[in-house]
Parts: sequence; structure tokens; C-alpha cells
Amino acid sequence: MSPGAVAVTPGLSSFLKSLKSTPVEPSIEHFISYSSPIQEPHTQQLTSHSLLKRRQIRNSRPCALATTALLLRVVGEFKGRDAAKLVERIRQVGRRLTSAQPREVVVGNIVRRVLGLIREVVDEKLDEDANANSDFGNNSESQSQSQTQTQHDSLHRPTLASSISTFSPLKYAALEPMDSSFPSENMSDSGELTKRPPLLTSHTSTAAPLVNSLFGLFSQPDTPSTSNTPTGHQSPDSKSMVTALNLERLADFTKTNFDLKAEVMDGIRELQDELDQVDDQIAANALDHIHSNEIILTHTASTSVQTFLLAAARKRKFTVVHCETFPHDHTATHGVLLTGKESDGHADDAEEAWKPLTAAGIQVVMIPDSHVFAIMSRVNKVILATHTVLANGGLVAAAGAHMIAKAAKVHQTPVVVVSGVYKLSPVYPFDIQELIEYGDAGSVVPYEDGDFVDKVDVENPLYDYVPADLVDLYITNLGGHAPSYLYRIVADHYRSEDINL
Amino acid sequence: MSKTTEGEAVQPPAEKIAEGDLKPQTESKVEAGVEDKKPQAAETDRAPKLSAAELKKRKQAEKQARRAQAKGAGPSTSGPPTQQKGPAARDGPKQQKDAKQPAKEGQSRPLPARRRPSQSEVPVLEKAKKEVKKETKQQGLFFGHLYNQPRQHSMVGASKDVHPAVLALGLQYSSYVVCGSTARMVSMLLAFKAVIETYQTPVGTSLARHLTSHHLSPQIDYLRSCRPLSISMGNAIRWLKDIIIKIDPSTPEAQAKRDLLSEIDNFILQRITAADELIAETAAKKIEEGDVILTYASSSIVEKTLLRAHNAGVKFSVIVVDSKPLFEGKRLARDLANHGLKVKYLLITGASHAVRDASKVFLGAHAMMSNGRLYSRVGTALVSMLANDHSLPVIVLCESVKFTERVALDSIVGNEVAPADELLSESERKDLLPLKPFLPKSVTARADEKDKSEGGEEAKDSPEDVLKWIVDSPNLQMLQVLYDVTPAEYINMVITEYGSLPPSSVPVVHRLSTNI
Amino acid sequence: MDLETPTAEHPPTQSFDIVSTYRDLLASDPDLTMPVAAIEALVEALAHSTVSTVAETLQLLERHTNTLKASIPNPISLSAGTDLFQRYLITTLTRPSSLGGLASVHLGPSDDFRAIRNHLLSNGRLFVERAKASRDKIASFGKHFVRDGATVLTNGGSRVVGALLRTAAESSTIRFRVIYVLSPSTSSDSREGLQTVADLRAHNVPVATIPDAAVAYSLGKVDMVIVGAEGVVENGGIISRMGTYQLGLLAKSKGKPFYVVAESHKFVRLYPLSQFDLPIDQKMLDFKVAEDKNFESKDKAPEDGTTADLCFENVPSKCSGQSADDAVDFTPPDLISGIITESGVLTPSAVSEELIKIWF
Repeated sequence: MSPGAVAVTPGLSSFLKSLKSTPVEPSIEHFISYSSPIQEPHTQQLTSHSLLKRRQIRNSRPCALATTALLLRVVGEFKGRDAAKLVERIRQVGRRLTSAQPREVVVGNIVRRVLGLIREVVDEKLDEDANANSDFGNNSESQSQSQTQTQHDSLHRPTLASSISTFSPLKYAALEPMDSSFPSENMSDSGELTKRPPLLTSHTSTAAPLVNSLFGLFSQPDTPSTSNTPTGHQSPDSKSMVTALNLERLADFTKTNFDLKAEVMDGIRELQDELDQVDDQIAANALDHIHSNEIILTHTASTSVQTFLLAAARKRKFTVVHCETFPHDHTATHGVLLTGKESDGHADDAEEAWKPLTAAGIQVVMIPDSHVFAIMSRVNKVILATHTVLANGGLVAAAGAHMIAKAAKVHQTPVVVVSGVYKLSPVYPFDIQELIEYGDAGSVVPYEDGDFVDKVDVENPLYDYVPADLVDLYITNLGGHAPSYLYRIVADHYRSEDINL
Repeated sequence: MSKTTEGEAVQPPAEKIAEGDLKPQTESKVEAGVEDKKPQAAETDRAPKLSAAELKKRKQAEKQARRAQAKGAGPSTSGPPTQQKGPAARDGPKQQKDAKQPAKEGQSRPLPARRRPSQSEVPVLEKAKKEVKKETKQQGLFFGHLYNQPRQHSMVGASKDVHPAVLALGLQYSSYVVCGSTARMVSMLLAFKAVIETYQTPVGTSLARHLTSHHLSPQIDYLRSCRPLSISMGNAIRWLKDIIIKIDPSTPEAQAKRDLLSEIDNFILQRITAADELIAETAAKKIEEGDVILTYASSSIVEKTLLRAHNAGVKFSVIVVDSKPLFEGKRLARDLANHGLKVKYLLITGASHAVRDASKVFLGAHAMMSNGRLYSRVGTALVSMLANDHSLPVIVLCESVKFTERVALDSIVGNEVAPADELLSESERKDLLPLKPFLPKSVTARADEKDKSEGGEEAKDSPEDVLKWIVDSPNLQMLQVLYDVTPAEYINMVITEYGSLPPSSVPVVHRLSTNI
Repeated sequence: MDLETPTAEHPPTQSFDIVSTYRDLLASDPDLTMPVAAIEALVEALAHSTVSTVAETLQLLERHTNTLKASIPNPISLSAGTDLFQRYLITTLTRPSSLGGLASVHLGPSDDFRAIRNHLLSNGRLFVERAKASRDKIASFGKHFVRDGATVLTNGGSRVVGALLRTAAESSTIRFRVIYVLSPSTSSDSREGLQTVADLRAHNVPVATIPDAAVAYSLGKVDMVIVGAEGVVENGGIISRMGTYQLGLLAKSKGKPFYVVAESHKFVRLYPLSQFDLPIDQKMLDFKVAEDKNFESKDKAPEDGTTADLCFENVPSKCSGQSADDAVDFTPPDLISGIITESGVLTPSAVSEELIKIWF
């Protein structure tokens, strides 16, 4: 498992393979230090090949897959049963991963999902235990203490979307691997506890049975006897109040007959299943959105979109207008149109044979990106692939997506965004520019024109930010959502305490 | 022309028969009418190989196409891509045409129907033709109506009437060497000067009556077959015909020709050179210290404006947004950079980022429509839309000679379809080669078949194959049009030689400028 | 705050004057917002009363709330506080078994009530502190919205916005500029604004102050708009100082992000459909012809005299309608990019969710 081996075959599948074949007991430290650079090859390899291979747009999925596999491994090799330590370990890994490639927001998403998973497992355990000894006997003190300390958010708003991530991924990743010693602005970071004690942090979760965030103002300051029904019980939302701190408290719970590791690993496997099935689940909606004889405009080589269209093609005949997304995704796009399969240069996942849309009897017209406006007046629907979806309903997608969405808006054409839930990020786009990655100028201007590049500042943005008001509908593996509802989907999938890794 | 040679090798030799009876014929004609070496060279290059049946079919199709076109536009109209006829163009020219047709045949000039097939003999065209056929069938929704006329890529089939200067120019048109509305118009007028110089009025007719219909028309037809005429060319042709008609029949021929030539020079000077000066002067004043001027593709007048402002010492920078496949902006960016301007270069996919940094947008025009819309290089509408979204002023620089009475609402009704195989550059095709094993069986099978039939001694994976894959992929097609229509509401100002106006005033100026 | 301990000696005061208590509270603490002051006043009212049942308490509160609302011309902001308080009591009191933290299975309903009452009475000051702290909290992360090199447009009068900008100014890493819309009058709002402007300038932040009329003019140089709000209504729109709506419209038309900064205790259960659907009586539009010129202004001096009266005397308004100083307008949610609260950035749709959660 020398890093050199990875450099030779830097594809996703080779990485996954190498994960499997890793000796059972490499030290975790070594494992992480090995794995964190692996994220860079994902992008580096692509950019460095960009003379031939464009920077792939859809590296969200490879990254997600790699991260889950990696975390599964990390959990598997984690020794001990202390949930808090496990959380800390995952965080640590997550921080390194995200700082290695901060714009690959999906990595952070997966890490947060796994963290949430651990918390959930612990919460369930806590519920059981609390139910078991409902008359708050021996552990009442520790529990109440933990609650007073952990219900720190005065409005203790469970809605995640609303709890902001001040974490701006790039800046902090660049400056310092943000750790919890960066507390002042972190709304839900445990660092806050130390900084701003009882006034804000104390809160009786039970102030109202329906956890009423707006009632935060009236909450109890420091009542010691908050010991009745545990928080997790009352509403799923209130689970979010269990933070790392009370995980520590709960360490003794886990001592009993509770296999934290196994449960978490099961959860991660479920996550992997979700990643596997996400395209098909999304595609299940296809017939609801594509009618016969429609003209659909799409872009990039997104497998999600292709699967979506193929699903519709089974029943209906329509026309697809495909922008080639020059200069960063055109080869993959052409490849998809010809073969139906995204050619990632290292065609290692020889799964089932893909059929191109055209083979399914669908008319496909490939156009250069400049034609978008000219064509748009004939288009019935625009389907966009995405790189990351942000909590405010905006998205980051392949460059060109913004002008497509805007042109669609101008022509009153509905814009549908197809995205797996795993691409939904709790990160709030304070500064959109930080999420935009710039690619190699060589793919814009061939290297033969060396003098050109010397004289002229050639820019090759790889991503566009598309604001929420240009999107009409999101289709995820959970169904269709209005952009204004995304905050809730995000809230359902991440725990507020994990937003800042 | 490299395609030609490649394609040539591809052709089964059996079809050479068809060439036999055509080639000498055309060749002799060309030689008869043309002294230049160039066409001859092209002649040898050319290898028309079509089965007789195919030939006939095509002949017919093209005849029809041509007729329809002639009906629509008349020889005198600018062939605006849609072939919409302007009211002015309708009466005179059409009658002219009708009157002339028999005369032409009587003079044993080659029939259009005879001429045309040989034009399209170039093998590349055959490929394009195949695609066109498919596209017309499938593409009814979009641009089916625009596929009626295959693009002329060589001068081989041109009538012997076509002047060598025009022949050369036609090739430059179709290969985009001469590109841009203004440049095409000016070069056309210059070529026509050459045509007029060598013109001699046959006995029994007058220059005024004969020149236009019998001598200029074939030139125009040829140019149109190379690439549909630009609006500016149409306007210039109309003007020229008007002048010719007005020549007093009593004027001696030498005098009339001299007059005509100086008129043409004058026209170029007035409507283009001087106009450009005026526009550049006005527009350059709009550039302020610290501005970031965004422009799309390449416009000569925009370049002139930018350089003028730069030479005047204004500190500003330029963002050039460009698009494939023509990459016109690349040359502009390079030129500007060579003049010491700070230039940023992005492709259209990055346009959203470009407008963020820009402070003003300068655009060139192919034409300004009478409903205030801008007809320009495809992608212009996107850039203007984004700029408008960012509240950037969008300024169109356009000589009044490019104004037209035509109107358009979208970019679909009137447009120019370009061969789709231009879309994939050599390197892009190369990038796709590794995909071969993943192609659907049907496509590879067909491709292989072809390989075999070609004798297949050349490397199987030549970039050309990729085009074949696309052609052979059922239901897959590429589309390339050259223009789009920018809504008037995205345009803040149109600068012409008459001054600056809102897009709504375009018809006013158009009327003014044509009535002068 | 709890000078008067909740002892039973107090007569069931009708003598307790909720309005003056409220005014005193506001006057004594310039940082206090109206909803919180209202809550404070209600808590004191509770302290002065001897009610011992839930129903009585609610009645009492209802009465005081109505008095309070009737006493000021624009009770929207205030009602956010009173409604919230009322709702809190109802939800906690009517569900005794689950009463927050205080109640355990051993306590009966009346104990619940006492516990709640004690909690409220003994912690009144705490609520205020919390409300103020939430402002700091908003400021501390709201400043992340102010990016380096940005130009922020804001209108005066909002303490939260002021706090946010000050916080941003104090962090040395961000350089930004501010365009501050000042109302021409001498109301407390504009004094507040001038103070903020002075503070910002002291922190080396370049500030331009402009009149309302210059907003559209300046917008081209602006990167984002941040405003405060008196109340955040159910559909995610805001009630704010007159002029905010046009600010929002202008920002939207120029594609500039428009952020609202508001503590979540300003969420109010109100669903205005238009400007004229607000539960207050504003006389902005006062159509007149030449003859009734002399009727002007005297007849509509607001009951809540002070500021408005001052304006009428000092700054003779040229407009026929009420002075714009304490008037409000409604900014619909589609103009708002995000609402920055102490617990995060909410989309307007998330506001409804929060309100739905406590009211349904």
C-alpha cells in the first residue's frame, strides 16, 4: 500500500480496491495520512491529465464513495467503545479530508452524515436506557448536567438549515484545519459552551413538549432537575441537542452490551447503499416530469441525468438537446452521447453495459454552449446536473449552468435540478466565489498557443453558482422539492453540532 | 481541404465513372471563363465520384432548393438566411430574374441544374449531405427549414462566369478566413470591383441592363452557395444594383465602369471606413478610466474602439468571451494583448464569471433588426442576458449599413446553419478515440464495415472515425448555427455613425440611411 | 429587575399601569427592543397580580396585552413579544405534565403554575439579557456576510444591523464600505444611525450617508443590502421602517442580495397581504385638495405623541401624510435573500416553519 501504487492507478475503483486489500491492522494514523492525500489525486490527477482528460464534473460521487469507504474503514479499525472518541476521530479524519480538497463539499457532507449516524445510534441507546430507568435514579445527575450544558443554543433550533455554518470551507481550510478552538462564532460548537455559559446555553429542552425554538427566550436558566423524559424522545428534532459533550457522559452507557461500532458500520453501509441506488431512485421520478414529445435541454455527462432520461425513455419519446459544456466536460459529454457511459479516462468500472440515450430511440441533438439562448425558445424543460446543492436552495454546477438556468428563466422554461441527497450541503454560501474552482487554462487554449497564455489572462472556471430563484424544482432520491424547502431536507440529514467539522 | 483528400481516399473507385462525363465538361468551362491558376489547382484536387442515380437525385433536390430560394429572395436580395423578401426587393429583381432565365439558357450558359451538381462533388460534402438529410428529417422542430442548401466548400463546380477573385473569396467565406459581416461585405465589394473591371458589355445590350443580371448574379449566387449572404452584403448588393440600374445607357462603357468603381470605393469609404471612425470615436469616449470592457467573439469595430481608447491613454482592461468552434475572440484577445492591453479570456461557459468582473459590454453586430433586436454571433444573446442581469450597460457598435428591415423574434426562424462536423476539433475527436470499445454494437459494426470497405490500411483509430461514429449513431446529431437574436431589452445603446440610439430607433435610422 | 418580589400583599392592581411600565422599560434601556420590553412589562404585571389559576393568568395577560397594544400606534413589533409570551404560557400551562424542567411527575397542575410563575418572575432580567445576547450572536456570525471588499447598503435605525456592522468593522481582516441611508429627520432612529456611522468611521470603515432618495442611484456600487426589521411575519416577509420595501424592490431589480437581520423574538404571527393589510392605522396617504389645507396635521397627532409630535413641530413636513419616521412598511418574502437570526440564516420559508411550530 505504498502511496506510489495509488498514483499509478488513481481511479476511484483502484482506491476502493486498495482499501479492501489494506492489511487489517495498519495504524489508523497511517491510514489517515495515507487517505487524506488520496483526495487530492482525485482532482490532481484529473487536472494534470487535462490535456487529454478534462476535469470531471461529477467527481461528487467518486468522492462520496471514497469517503464512505474510508470512514467505514476508520470506524472498523476504531478501538474502544467510547462514542465521543469515535466522533472525535471521525471529525479529525473529516477535517483532514476537507482541507485536502475543500471544494469537494460532498466529502464534508458524508463526514457529517456519518457523525450524525453515530449520534443517532447513541441517542437511541440513550432513549432505551432512559426508558429503562425512568425514575431518573443513578444517572439523573449526569444527565441533567449534560443537558444544561448541551442545550446551548438559546433558541435551540433544531432546524439545521437555520443553524448557520460560519464555516466557510475554503478560507478556514486554508488557514487552519478548523478545530473547535475556533469557537467564537460557531453557533453550535461545543466551544461556545465555555465561552458563553448559562445565559444562552442553558435551556430546558422540555420547556414545551413540542420543542419550540421561539420559546427559547423563556427557558429555564439553571434548573437542576431536568430529568424527566429524555430529549430524544419528544421529537426527532431534539435529538440534535446531544452533542459531543453528552456523548462523553454517555460513555458509560456504551460500556454495557452495546456494540456501537457495529451499529455505526451498519449505518455507513446503508449510506453506501444509498449512494449506489441514488440515481435509480431519482430516475423513478422521471415519468412524472418528462412527457412525450418534450424537448429537454441538459448539460454535462452526469450519470444521474442520463439515468433519469433513460428511465423516461422507456415509456416516452422525447428529444434531448445536450450542451457540450466546453471546455471542461465536453469529452465526457460526447462520450456519454456516444456510449451512454461517462468515460472517466480510466474505464475501470466495467459494470453493466450502458446504453446511450440514442439507442433507446431518443433524439439527441448536441449543441455548443453558445447556442443555449438560441435554442431555449423551443425547449420545454431544462434538466441540470449539479456538483453541490447548498442549504439556501442554490447550487454549484458545471460552468455554464448559470447561463442555462438564466436563459431558461428568461424564456419561462422550468429548470429541474437532479441531485442525490448526499450532494446537499449544510454549508451556507457566504462567498460564492470560494466554492468556484478554476481549471487549467490549457483546456481553453491549447498549449501550442503558449504565447497567447503568456499575454492573455486565460480563465477556466469549472463551476457556476446558480441562485435558488433560477431553479424551479429539485429532484432528489427523496422526491421532488421546491428550492425553498431544501433547508428542511438539509436539516433532516445533518446534525447542527456537526456543521462545523 | 484536408477533409477533401481524406474523403477522397474513402470513396470507392467504382464511382469514378460518373466523374468522367462531368469533369472535362466543367473543367473546360472553367478554363474558358477563367484565367486564374487557382481554380485549376482546385480542379485537379477535386474528385467527384457519385453514382449517376445519386447525382440525379441531388441535382433535382438542389434545383428545387435553388428555385425556392430564387423565388424567395430574387437575385438582388441579400440572402438573409431566412430568405425573407423585403418589400423593396420583391418587384424589380424578381421580374428581372424571370425575364432573364430564358435568355441565359439561350446563350448556352450552363444551366443552373447542370452546374450545381458538380459543385457538390467534393466528398466531404457527401458526408455532410448525409447528415443534412438526416437532420432535415429529424430536426423539423428546430432548424429543418434551414437545411435546404448544402454548403459549397470548393470552387470546383462554379460556373465559368464566376470571376476568379470571387471564386477565391467564396472559399475564404466558407472556410471562415474572411469572417465577420463588415469584412465579408467589403471584400465582396472589392471583388466586384475586379469583376466590373473585366466586364465587357456584350453587343446589343446596355451595361445597366446586362451587368447586374448576367454578370453579377452568378457571382452572387456563387458566394451565396459558399455561405449565405450576410445582411450587410445584401444591403451592399442592393445598393450596387440600384446604382447600376441608374446608369444612363448613353454613358460610354469605360466611363460607366469608372463611375461604378469610384462609387464602390466611395461606398466603402462612407459607409464603412468613415462610419467606423465615427463609431469608434463615439464609443471610445464611453470607455472610462478603470473600466472593464467585456466583449464577445470578435468584432472589427469593437477592436478599433478598444485600441483607440487605449491609445488615448485610458486605463482599462478587457475581457474577451469566446466560444467554439470558431474561437474568433482568440485573435482579438491576442491583438489587444499585443497592443499592451490587459486582457482576460474566457469561454462562454465562464460568461457568468466574466460579467461579474466587467463594467461595460461592447458588442459587434451582424445586423440590427428593425424590431431593435441584435442579430449576431451565436452566444451574444447569452452574454447580453447575463450582462443585463448584472445591470451592465450593453452597447452595440454597428454601422448603419448592417441595419435591416427584417424583424425576428427568435433565433430559430432565421439563422445560418453551419456544417456540424466543424464542431469537433481534431483534438476533441482524438480525445474520444478511447471510447471505441464502449460504443454500441450497431455503431461500431457499421464503422468497421466502412473500414473494411475502404481497404482499411490506415490506422483504425483516426480522429475522423469519431465523426463517423456520430453520423452512424442513430438519433444522434450535432447542430451548429452561427447566429442568435438578442432581445432589444438587453441592449442599452446602439452606436452608429449617425450617433447613439436606443434599439427602438433602429428602423428610423435604417429608413434614413437607405433613403439618402 | 425583580425589585418587587412576587408577594401576595399587592392588591390585584388595576392600579398597575402596564403602559407606563412598558415606557419606563424602554426609556431606561436604550438597547431594549419592543417585544422584549413588552414581555418584561407583562412579567411585572404578573408579579403585581395575585392570580393563582391558569385561566385568570391568561385573562390578565390578555387584558394587559390589549391595553398595551392600544396604547401605541404601531403595536406590531410589540405584539411579537406579547404573543410569544402568551403562547408560551398557554403551551406550558395547559400541558402540565410536560412542563419544562420544573415539572416532574410529582407536581400537580397548580404546582406547575407556581413553578412557571416563579420561573418567569425570577428570571425576567435574564430574558432581556438573552435578547440582547442574541443580538451579539447575530452580529458575531452575521459579519461573515460582509465579505472583504464589499460595499454594504443599509438603512438606519436598526440596532442589530449597527451591531453587526460594528462587529465586522472590529475584525480587522475585513475591509468594507458602508452606504448608510439616513432619514432627514431627527428621530431617534436617525440619531442611532448617526451613532453607528460615527462608530464605523472610527473603525476606519468608509461610510457614505445618503438620503432615501439616493438609494437607487447608489445601488450600482452596492454588493449587498442589510436591513433590520421590527417584525418578521409568517410568510417570511418583514415589517420594517418605512422605506425598507422600496429598498428591497430596488435591490431585487438590480439583483443585489437583500438580507434581513432580526432576533427570533421578533417573529410575529401576522400574515399581511399588502402594505395596507397591516393591523395598524397609518396615514401615509392623505389625499387633500386646496381647501382643507388648514386641517392639516393637528387632527392626527399620534396618541403616542413624543417622537411624532417632535417631528411635526421641529420639522414641518411637506407631505400631507403622516411623517415617515415611525411608519412602517411590509417587505414581502420574495425580495428577501435570507433572514439572519441568532440561530442561523433562515430562508423566508423557514420562518413560517418556526412560527407554525409554535402556533399549530
